[in-house]
Amino acid sequence: MSSSLRREPLETAAFRAGYLTLLALMLLPLLVVVVTSFSGTGRLAFPPESYSLVWYGEFLDSVRWLDAFTNSIVIGVGTALVATLLGVMGAFGQEIDDGSLGTVLAPLVLIPLLIPPVILGITLLMYFNEVGLRGSYASIVLAHTLWATPLVYFVMRSVFSRFDWQQLDAAQDLGAGPVQSFVYVVLPNVKHGIFVGGLLAFIISLQEFVMALFLSTPSTETIPVLAWTEIRQALDPMVSVVSTFLIVISVVGILLAVVATNLEWLSKQLS
Amino acid sequence: MAETNSQFPRSLKGVRESLGQQSGSNRALLLMAPLLAFELLVFVVPFFILLRISFAEESSDLVYAEGTWTLEAYSSVLTSDLIWSIVGYSFLLGIVVTVLSVLIGLFYAYAIWRSTGLLKSLLLFSVVLPLLTTLVIRTYAFNPLLSPSGTLNELLLSLGLISSPIQFVPGTVGVVVGQLYIVLPYAVLAIYSVLATMDWHVVEAARDLGASRPRSVLEVVVPQAMPGVIVAAVISFAWSVGAYAAPDLLSGNITFAMQVEGLMLSDMRYPLAAAFSVLMLLLMLVSIAIMFTLLNRIGGEFELA
Repeated sequence: MSSSLRREPLETAAFRAGYLTLLALMLLPLLVVVVTSFSGTGRLAFPPESYSLVWYGEFLDSVRWLDAFTNSIVIGVGTALVATLLGVMGAFGQEIDDGSLGTVLAPLVLIPLLIPPVILGITLLMYFNEVGLRGSYASIVLAHTLWATPLVYFVMRSVFSRFDWQQLDAAQDLGAGPVQSFVYVVLPNVKHGIFVGGLLAFIISLQEFVMALFLSTPSTETIPVLAWTEIRQALDPMVSVVSTFLIVISVVGILLAVVATNLEWLSKQLS
Repeated sequence: MAETNSQFPRSLKGVRESLGQQSGSNRALLLMAPLLAFELLVFVVPFFILLRISFAEESSDLVYAEGTWTLEAYSSVLTSDLIWSIVGYSFLLGIVVTVLSVLIGLFYAYAIWRSTGLLKSLLLFSVVLPLLTTLVIRTYAFNPLLSPSGTLNELLLSLGLISSPIQFVPGTVGVVVGQLYIVLPYAVLAIYSVLATMDWHVVEAARDLGASRPRSVLEVVVPQAMPGVIVAAVISFAWSVGAYAAPDLLSGNITFAMQVEGLMLSDMRYPLAAAFSVLMLLLMLVSIAIMFTLLNRIGGEFELA
């Protein structure tokens, strides 16, 4: 007993040092990106030799980056709309379903997340070649929807499972139709979930890179794809500027989602 | 509400009425149909086309010869030493990253589970933020940190711990670190979401009965967290075997993903790329099935979703 008493403070200290080190390491790469974006020189070094806003100026002058930014937003919004519509409808359908289709649906929706994106990328490239969608915004939106839908779907399943379904029965007993009862009874209770689902879908699409690399053409290339091409030619702080924007968008997204729900719930939905 | 009703166009009203007459089950089918159709059209059908192209002949002017059936692509993939060495390296990378990711993921998830208040939020935030940041950014940040003239080497040199810079990047150490950073957030969250449903009192009871702290974690927490560990392992493994960005940016070694990208986009040899992908998917499925069985034996039962 006495030996364990002496050991405990040591164990606690080691445990704390362990996770605090990991915490620092988890955030370090992102810190490197943000700090190097303020570099005054053309060399990507951490910490930078001098600081300036010169690379931010370059970014705002670059037509190519701004075009990629527009592409990313168009594809992100498209993905969010399609994935939210499919995910919400699917999860709602499964909730009121008494058949066996639902048991097939859940694994089918989940599997795309477990397949390496490169394999999805080449598979979809071959497919879109066949059906003549290659090079369109739609091809990338559909590919991203494949990844974003599982998130919306599982977020909504979790939200719907907490909803008191007797309220829906009550509304229908009082004469409300299916659409009416959904809009007035279910929707107000689940709108936060829908918002978070859509937001996650948008962020997933904005950040997705491998499938976009395979499916995009110079006129539809997204920010991560352009960043990738640039990095392979030369490592300069311009990529850090772009990355900083993407990180800021994700931070804002997380804060919005946390305001709508809470961080712990959000974290569980992402796994 | 009567007012809103009268504003509905006639056709929409008709749809609503026909919806109302259907049984609940039919309505559910109708709601699930678009998602099901989407998964079939954008996921299942494309995989059959991939499979079909893997059996087609190569063509010199087109990406593949339509309407032909041959096993040529498979035989050239299966007999190529280069391909097998790439497969070996990809799987090695996958295994190393998966082991590290599960061990560190367990530790970090446990720390999040045990912490409270602001610290807990900070720890969760440190996992969610990288998860929602593009993998391009997550990968290239290791370049200024780990390259021979990078931050880590300068630090080690100035501390006098090493006499000449170590080349982490480009190299296998860099790839493992980079890929680990890509999959770790998923592993942590998968394990944490299971731990969060666990009762701390069980661990306390074990300790009251005399179990040391490491032992109580190993024998009480880990077996219960097994469903999360399995998900973490599967995701880490699948993504690391198929790693593309980290090996490309942080090492010179070629992985499956880089090879298949070259076959597709530079060489335009679709049947070969398709056959290689099918082979990789099969190998990964087999490995995941083995992993599943092994981990299930250690821990409790696991059900999908």
